[in-house]
Amino acid sequence: MIKRLIAATSIATLCLVSGAAAAEKVEMWVRSGIGDAFKKVVEAYNANHENQVVATEVPFSELVQKYATAIAGGQAPDALSMDLIYNPAFAAAGQLEDLTDWAKALPYFNSLSPSHVRLGTYQDRIYGLPLSVETSVFAWNKDLYKKAGLDPEKAPATWDEITANAEKIRALGEDTYGFYFSGGGCGGCMIFTFTPLVWGAGADILSADSKAATLDTPQMRKAVDIYRNMVKKDLVPAGAASDNGANFLTFTNGKIGQQSLGAFAIGTLVTEHPDINFGVTLIPGVEGTPSSFAGGDNFVITKGTKKIDAVKEFLEYVYSVDGQKVMAKYGSLPTRGDIADKVLEGLDPRMQVGLKAIGVAKTPYTLQFNDLINSANGPWASFTNAAIFGDDVDGAFSSAQSEMQSIIDSGQ
Amino acid sequence: MTGSGLPRQSSPRRRRRSQWRGLAYIAPAMALVIVFFIMPVLFTGWMSLHNWPLMGASRWIGFNNYFRMYNDSRFITALNFTAYYTVIVTIAIFSVAFPLAIFVEKERQFVSAYRTIIFLPVVVGLATASLLWVWLANVDSGFIGPALKGLDLVAKSPNLLATFDTAFLTIVVMVVWKIAGFTMIILLTGLQAIPAELNEAARIDGAGRWQRFVHLTLPLMRKTIALALIVSVTGSILAFDQFYIMTAGGPQNKMISVVYYIFNQSFVSFNLGYGAALSIALLAILVAISIVQLWLLRAGEDHP
Repeated sequence: MIKRLIAATSIATLCLVSGAAAAEKVEMWVRSGIGDAFKKVVEAYNANHENQVVATEVPFSELVQKYATAIAGGQAPDALSMDLIYNPAFAAAGQLEDLTDWAKALPYFNSLSPSHVRLGTYQDRIYGLPLSVETSVFAWNKDLYKKAGLDPEKAPATWDEITANAEKIRALGEDTYGFYFSGGGCGGCMIFTFTPLVWGAGADILSADSKAATLDTPQMRKAVDIYRNMVKKDLVPAGAASDNGANFLTFTNGKIGQQSLGAFAIGTLVTEHPDINFGVTLIPGVEGTPSSFAGGDNFVITKGTKKIDAVKEFLEYVYSVDGQKVMAKYGSLPTRGDIADKVLEGLDPRMQVGLKAIGVAKTPYTLQFNDLINSANGPWASFTNAAIFGDDVDGAFSSAQSEMQSIIDSGQ
Repeated sequence: MTGSGLPRQSSPRRRRRSQWRGLAYIAPAMALVIVFFIMPVLFTGWMSLHNWPLMGASRWIGFNNYFRMYNDSRFITALNFTAYYTVIVTIAIFSVAFPLAIFVEKERQFVSAYRTIIFLPVVVGLATASLLWVWLANVDSGFIGPALKGLDLVAKSPNLLATFDTAFLTIVVMVVWKIAGFTMIILLTGLQAIPAELNEAARIDGAGRWQRFVHLTLPLMRKTIALALIVSVTGSILAFDQFYIMTAGGPQNKMISVVYYIFNQSFVSFNLGYGAALSIALLAILVAISIVQLWLLRAGEDHP
């Protein structure tokens, strides 16, 4: 019944489409909040190609369920810019086009970001290719540093230093704060900006084979203390406690002294907030050793789309020097290692910090990323909220640890 | 349902014909119920017997989804929270709506303006109202917090949505603001249906304002009050939008209602089969509660 309904609707859609002009319109979804790079590369492509890409932004916290339900309802877009961590799950469900032969024939295939290709691969077939490369970095506002009597050119290297700086910046006035993080209900933000504190110190929240939750470590306790302490001292705006990620870019308001951000924010700041004078460095670990989250998006094609050639043409444009330059100008790091230097040439030197972060960055690997980490109701999101803003730190550790383990166990 | 139990004096033939006619009258409504209620429920029941991922093939697993509920502490937590919310919100709505209904029942100056103002929030969608209140409650750019601070009532603008107590209070106030007007209208029709002569007679017999309210208005309002309560209880048990939009189930997952939990199971964890089983369980709970409420109402009718 439902299948027939779906079939009928897709036939209707096909009739509409085949009546249109010869140029193809590719429907593509992209998660919102990752900056302008993708939007700009679509604009650039549309300006000098007959085929057109229509990009629809979907709130990043809802992209997975929207895409999954759209697939089930036969309404999925032709292609998707998908957070790379979800790629294996969708490939395993058989919903994506196999790109293996085409991908391997690309002359630059071997220089594409390897961790993206790894997450895009399922059972030796390739279902996703890198679209944007993203790392988390630490940014500070140089003007506020200067006002607070700090050396604006000196990047902080430890959390003691960051906390001390935050106190001086907070002392500047009522609505100027030393630090910010989207901690209230944004698991995705916190895995991106907060776990580098423990990764740098050699700990992790999951075991190497993803079969055990390893949340309760001395390193994580220390990391929690650092953040708790800053919240307690009123160095962080109160809104952080309920931020679901909507205000991730609070740093752009110019009243935040320091914040961990994505490299994409460098592009956004440079192009949209040129008045903010900021520096970028790697996120220190709790013992000083820096780390980062290597993330970003893979490009996937919905199984069965009729416009696969048009989609491929667009992706080849993204990989061209022109496409890569547009992406880089608006904050996405180069996805092709062979032309990285050429792409970043003449661009803001702070982008190089994002590139450097790749060298120390980690990408968690689990098929249950949404359940465990990204979902607003997952154990990771509720742990960071409870541990940093709540009254019972021990309780937060033990309940998150056991809930994570039970989700891992129930997922076979 | 077709009224066959009514002791009417008529020939069997005529009665049969009028039954067919009655059936024809309700056929369109029945078709709607079958297509949009009965069939989806049957389909949900069928789904609940499967391991049914959002993507990929489903697999028959019998009643395993139902056994799973017993050990699902998050489901039990959601049930408890929903019950707590339902009780609080129902009492809150009722205790605001009843005085309002009495207030706007009497003919007085500007009474239709009062009625309109109180009813206005009802026409706003629940999602829209939730978003509006998210803004109102925002600690920095909103209205409530900065206003409290501006009036020097607090030293620092509070983040209402950051702790359970204040976030829960904010949501209850929002829901009362949004729904009380509707309940008021229901109660108002009940009040207006009480014949004026009864009040008149009671007054002549020397009954005071309070006595008339307790011994006359309340008993005569019984059915209307029951209706208002049933509507409120059913609505609250199915609450979802406000928790999803205003706090995303937070802080710390303490505000996840049953429907929200079903949503999470179905569309975050992609367990459509388990979500379907939970839906069936919730339907059973709703039916049970409604039966009890209707039974209480009937029981009262025999001896008013």
